[in-house]
Formats: sequence, structure tokens, C-alpha cells
Amino acid sequence: MDALSGWWDDYFWASVTVAQVFVCSLVFMVVFGLLGAAAKQSENALANNLANAYTVFFRGTPEILVVLLIYFGSAVTLTGIARLFDPSIRFVDIPPFWAGTIAIALVVGSYATETFRGAFNGVNPGSIEAARALGMNKVQTFFYIRIPEMWRLALPPFGNHMLSLIKDTALISIIGLNEMLFVAKQATSTTGKPFTMYIVVGLIYLAFSSVITFSVMILENIANRHTRRAP
Amino acid sequence: MSAQIIIDALPRMLGGMVLTFQLLLLSLAAGTVIALLLLLMRISGRWWLSWPAQVYFYVFRGTPILVQIFIIYYGLPQFDWIRDSVFWPILRDPFGCAIVALSLNVGAYVSEIFRGGVLSVERGLLEAGAALGMSAPQRFVHITAPLAIRIALPAYGNEVISLLKSTALASTITLADMTGIARTIVAETFAPYQVFLSLAIVYVTLTWFIQRSIRYIENVLGRYTVR
Repeated sequence: MDALSGWWDDYFWASVTVAQVFVCSLVFMVVFGLLGAAAKQSENALANNLANAYTVFFRGTPEILVVLLIYFGSAVTLTGIARLFDPSIRFVDIPPFWAGTIAIALVVGSYATETFRGAFNGVNPGSIEAARALGMNKVQTFFYIRIPEMWRLALPPFGNHMLSLIKDTALISIIGLNEMLFVAKQATSTTGKPFTMYIVVGLIYLAFSSVITFSVMILENIANRHTRRAP
Repeated sequence: MSAQIIIDALPRMLGGMVLTFQLLLLSLAAGTVIALLLLLMRISGRWWLSWPAQVYFYVFRGTPILVQIFIIYYGLPQFDWIRDSVFWPILRDPFGCAIVALSLNVGAYVSEIFRGGVLSVERGLLEAGAALGMSAPQRFVHITAPLAIRIALPAYGNEVISLLKSTALASTITLADMTGIARTIVAETFAPYQVFLSLAIVYVTLTWFIQRSIRYIENVLGRYTVR
């Protein structure tokens, strides 16, 4: 453990980066998932086909390939555009942070699409009819009936999607984000203790996952508080 | 976009498919064996067997596969006793490390899938088996296993697809699987769209093929249930 002294602050800041990636990609993931679910539900054939293509492509492609594609693809496009204005420019890229965030959000969003679609379909039609009978309009029905009922169904798979997101953040090191695997590599080259350095990365990820699992458990309790029976 | 790059790159990338399939099939086989062991530990009813299995699942589900691969490939050689052990020929080799990491991972997930299948077998059938004088191992082999396999198969198929996607991570430890070759080609040509997109289509096709095969097996196994 002596080898670790002096590296704790690097690991700390790297895990802050991982947390930032996680939070940003979580927001994008929910947006992509809701858009995908809405497109799959809509009567518009074009939206339907686009959403199907989205889920088939991103669920069948390795995450690492998506990360590489988004980062290097956008870099080629941006460099091409920049050269139109200033031919002396060599290389322009999106920061790895954002390229990676978008990439993992796209992948996990394709899984979330199916989760959200299933959960919205799982809302009891009787509840919606009851809401209509009470004189609620569409917006009220959506916020007071559909959302509370669907998130009860969506929470368990959604927890798994969050675990996938936190684990996929490790992939962003391959496009050069200064995160934990990157720190471990640097620390290994000066201390010559690779096992110690990488096991710390594993333990930090395990801590992140435990926090997520625990939070989902609490949220599930809150979501299901009405369905519990009296003791 | 020049099509020539794709025409040149595709055969080279498909050359890596053999390695991708070796990684997939070997770690699937080893992972399934690990999963069976973990399953037996989980359902044994003895806490000193079931707890380690739960901890195993928790650790492997909570950490990225990339980190596990790095711990095994870069991390383990730190210890002299590993370098002196009989496992060193496997752990010295990136291919061996990738297989070890992927199998350990698949084992964790698949054991949980198997457990779901076993738990969903109706109790009455097991009681009927006991009434017929079958022993516990007999009941497991002749009643629980055939039913559980059928129930667990769709989820198992999804796990095979996840594993196919995870084999791409082997490219990070210098293996020349399809993704590894694609990265080399992109470094040479700097044509990420053409190379990575065509490879993505190859992976999507393989995924479709795996889904089809699993559905076929499901139909064969479920042929008695068709009305």
C-alpha cells in the first residue's frame, strides 16, 4: 500500500471526472430513451423506422466501437470543416469527455428505449379511463397517472442501465480522457506496481456501483410505498 | 467517402473474425461451466457456499470488464508466485488473459440467469418427483434442468450477444480481433466512418444471426408446448 501514497489525489480527481461523465450521460441517456420510446409508439412510419434502426444498430455494436466511431468520426468531420476556413489547421476534435459521454449515452439509451416503451405500455388502461372519468386532461393524466405508474415498472431495469453507464465510463480512457484507468497506467509506470494500481480502480468502480444499487433500492421503496400492505 | 477504403478494409477485418469467434466460443464454454458451479453453490442451501457465490456476482457485476481485463493482464504479473505458477503460460498471453476475464464475467451473469430459471420451476412438479421416489439429484437432472433451460434460454441468448460485444475489448490488450484490426486500419488511413461503420454492420449481422439461432433452439426445445 506504500506505493499508493501520493496517488490518492489523482485517483480522487479521476473519480470526480467519472462521476461527471456519469451524470451527463445519464441525462442524455434518459433523453435518448424517451425520444426513442416516443418514436416507437408514434403512428408516423418514418419515426418508427428510425427508432428501430437506432435500437438495432446500438444494441448490436460493441460499446468500444461506438466510442471510437463518435470520437474519430466527429474529429474527421470537424477537421474537414475547419480546413475550409484555415488550411493550416492539422486536427480539431470534440473533447473526449463529450464524445465519450454522448457515445455511451447513445448505447445505453437504446436499451432504455425498450424499457420506457415497455413501462408506458404496462400502465393499466383502467387507471387512464378512471382519470378521464375524473375529468383530467391529457397533460394531467400524463403527470399524475402515467409517470407514477410507469416509473414503478421502469425502475429495476433502469437501475441496470445506470450500472451499465458507470461501467462504460471506463471505455472513455481509450480516447484519452484523464480518468481512473489513465491514472493507474501513469502510476504503474512510476511505481512498477500494476496490480495495486488497477485493483484500486476496480474498488472505486465497485463503490460507485454499490451507491447506485443502494439508491435504486431506496427509490423502489418510495415508488412502491402505495402498494405495500398494512402489517 | 470513397468506397475503395471499405473494399480494402473489409476483407482484412473479416480476417479477425476467427479470433473473435475463438474468444466468444471458448469463454462461453468456460463461463457456462463456472456459472453451473456458482449455481450449485447458490442453491445448495449452505451459507458458506452461497455467500461466496453472491459476493462473486456482486464484484463482477459492479466493475467494468475493461478494468478486469487490465487487472488480469497488467496487474497479475506483479506477483512472483504467479509468474512461477502453472497458470503463467495462460496469463502471460493476451489471448489467455482475455479468455480468463471474459469467462469469469460471463460466469457471473449466466449463473444469475440459470438461478432465475431454476427458481421458476413449479414446486408441485418437484413434489411429484419426490412422491415418485426420485432423489434430489435425480429431480434436479430430470425435472428442474430441462424446464429451467427452456425458461433461461432467451436471457442466455442476450448474454451471448453481450459477450460478442465484450470480445471487442480484447483489442485493448494488443489482440488483433476484428476491432483491433479496424483500429489499425483507421490509424493508417484515417477514415473512421468507412471502417468503423462497416465493422459495426458486421457486428449487427452477427448479433442478428445469434438471435435467430437462439430462437430456433427455443422452438426446438419448446416443441411439446405448441398447441
